[in-house]
Amino acid sequence: MGTKRKLENRRKFFQTSAALIGGTLMYSLIKPFEAIAETKEKDTEDDKANLPLWGMGVDLESCIGCGKCVEACKIENDVPKEPFYFRTWVEQYTVKNDGEVKIESPNGGIGGLKQSVPDEDIFKSFMVPKLCNHCTKAPCVQACPVGATFISPDGVVLVDETYCIGCSYCIQACPYGARYMNPITKVADKCTFCYHRITKGLQPACVEVCPTDARIFGNLKDKKSDLVKFLQKNPTQVLKPHLNTHSRVFYNGLSSEVK
Amino acid sequence: MPKLIFRLFLSFVLFVSVFIFIQQHLKPASFGKYGHYRANSINDNKMRTSYFKSENKCKECHQDVYDLKDNDVHYGVRCESCHSPKINASAECKEMPPKVEGTLKFCGQCHAMNLGRLKKGVPQLDFKEHKQGQNCIECHNPHAPWELKEN
Repeated sequence: MGTKRKLENRRKFFQTSAALIGGTLMYSLIKPFEAIAETKEKDTEDDKANLPLWGMGVDLESCIGCGKCVEACKIENDVPKEPFYFRTWVEQYTVKNDGEVKIESPNGGIGGLKQSVPDEDIFKSFMVPKLCNHCTKAPCVQACPVGATFISPDGVVLVDETYCIGCSYCIQACPYGARYMNPITKVADKCTFCYHRITKGLQPACVEVCPTDARIFGNLKDKKSDLVKFLQKNPTQVLKPHLNTHSRVFYNGLSSEVK
Repeated sequence: MPKLIFRLFLSFVLFVSVFIFIQQHLKPASFGKYGHYRANSINDNKMRTSYFKSENKCKECHQDVYDLKDNDVHYGVRCESCHSPKINASAECKEMPPKVEGTLKFCGQCHAMNLGRLKKGVPQLDFKEHKQGQNCIECHNPHAPWELKEN
């Protein structure tokens, strides 16, 4: 009697576990075919073809370093007010007569940049606004271990705040220093081209407030957009082209001193 | 098949299927739709509140001021470049008007002498010489800077 029950139990155990394993395997085998059945893949590709491809032009010949963009960015995106958290910031480069280059950006340029070098020592001086370059081959996306940062189908590098584990790998990977660890949300944060604005037809906050139109935002696919016209009119460069990041922020009048 | 190999094979299959089972349940629904990320995160990024409302919103009530500014040298400067933004523009504007003091420091953000911004079409002033101790808007109308007020 005892042996029989044991045997029955064992048989039952094997039957149920076989059913479970078989079921799971079947499910995992069928799942990839679901997509084909619904032609999901094809749809997303069609969507992508109709989507814009966002980019920005920065005209260094117009930038006056007033810092309005930095201030606006901090308000719009709830960036902490401390002077070391920035989604965008403006640097002032001063090339002295003896060839020395001084780079300064007190408080990211909020309140207007002030020249600290006496006029007679200056060979040239210019402002460089910096932000996330929205690379086509983004090092930060490659570094993320959990897939919390990604390039959206319309070409903007975004952060998934609910998925980020706050390991800071992306911050180290970014060659432009465009990311920071948000002390409030404890996740990586960066410029999104004001994704919540551009998807509603508005301009990013920094572009909106720039008094000299030094920032030009637009769709790279639309041949009539302001950005494409800006690129046609001016010889532009990207930052750190040797890194092969294929960034989508284009600078006009970029000097070789800019790092 | 030897019993040992069969057991090994069985536990291998069990391990793989348990892994697949757990993975399917822990993975967020939209993960992998467009790539190695949660596709719904795109919508999360769209959901933020916007502070800056753009000039079209300001024009709804202040068309006269806008026209004055747009026909003068400050035409390229947007309303929200100087006036701080409001979340609910129409309601909050009346309660807390986004006033600008127009101090030398404020206007100096663009107009204080800096060699880096000289020759860019923005007038540069040395505020040590120009009307020290006064507010800019005591003489200048910020929307039409060359309409000087009589003192």
